[in-house]
Amino acid sequence: MESRPGYHRGGGNNITWGDSPALPGAQGRRRKQPPRPADFKLQVIIIGSRGVGKTSLMERFTDDTFCEACKSTVGVDFKIKTVELRGKKIRLQIWDTAGQERFNSITSAYYRSAKGIILVYDLTKKETFDDLPKWMKMIDKYASDDAELLLVGNKLDCETDREITRQQGEKFAQQITGMRFCEASAKDNFNVDEIFLKLVDDILKKMPLDIMRNELSNSILSLQPEPEIPPELPPPRPPVRCC
Amino acid sequence: MRMDETLVSADGKNSRAVLCQRCGCRVLSVGTATLAKRELLLPSMKKKSSLADESNPDTELLVEHWLVHDMFTFENVGFTKDVGNVKFLVCADCEVGPIGWHSLEEKSNFYVALQRVRHE
Repeated sequence: MESRPGYHRGGGNNITWGDSPALPGAQGRRRKQPPRPADFKLQVIIIGSRGVGKTSLMERFTDDTFCEACKSTVGVDFKIKTVELRGKKIRLQIWDTAGQERFNSITSAYYRSAKGIILVYDLTKKETFDDLPKWMKMIDKYASDDAELLLVGNKLDCETDREITRQQGEKFAQQITGMRFCEASAKDNFNVDEIFLKLVDDILKKMPLDIMRNELSNSILSLQPEPEIPPELPPPRPPVRCC
Repeated sequence: MRMDETLVSADGKNSRAVLCQRCGCRVLSVGTATLAKRELLLPSMKKKSSLADESNPDTELLVEHWLVHDMFTFENVGFTKDVGNVKFLVCADCEVGPIGWHSLEEKSNFYVALQRVRHE
């Protein structure tokens, strides 16, 4: 049983968050046991102004063989991601709305069901930092009181273009009860995925031990994946082929 | 493409983990999905040339899929926005896709096309 947090990622890469070095043997140790289902599930949203410009993992794969048609033309709605922390396996359902055009495109229902909220600004673009109070208004209005908040200054790799100091970011977060702060750089492999670990760790630390059971996961499961807006469905027809 | 029989274990579940073809991100763990045969038309995953012709169609008819009934069964997966009443599944890390299909009319069915993934 690992006593320190570890991040087991698909593909066999072990990235540990914190001071401990990666454990190459850890993946091998797990292979002997059947994979266990998730211990519980959390909903997380990422918000922030247009222009926060997170460099996604995808950009490193400039492989012409594959077409990101789905991403570029249709757009990603949400993702399921799994992290392991403190010996628990946690499924995250993540809505990443940062950088989307319409400020109000994110409905109140997204905020309400989120256990974690990551608020991103671009530390090379002052206007994205100046927008933060606008996002905080939405959080104050719609988010649950016990949602864990994390402020992230993105683009740490662009130090020469920095417009917002680390102190400015820290100071903003200090004004808000319980809000944590960090700076990130997708380019240097310290990307938003590691941010999730920090956020989930904070959520886990707050949870009383007797709640860490499947009862909790069941109650979170009862939340609809989409916000509680009834979709307008077309009349039912036999599902054969799509398109 | 014929299904490799070693992909399905005695209990009818996937005997190997399902990974993204491009980046290796884990989509499904062992023993979490059943094999389903269903004709689904998915947009092409490979980059099409500027001239789409018969050898480079926009869509592909795929028949063999891994089926799960709960989206939280996935280790990692992305869902596109709605295309009509369908969401496509993509890799959660590199966002390549579509690797799968989900109809909003069938809330409990999530399909991952065998040909769009690789197996550990």
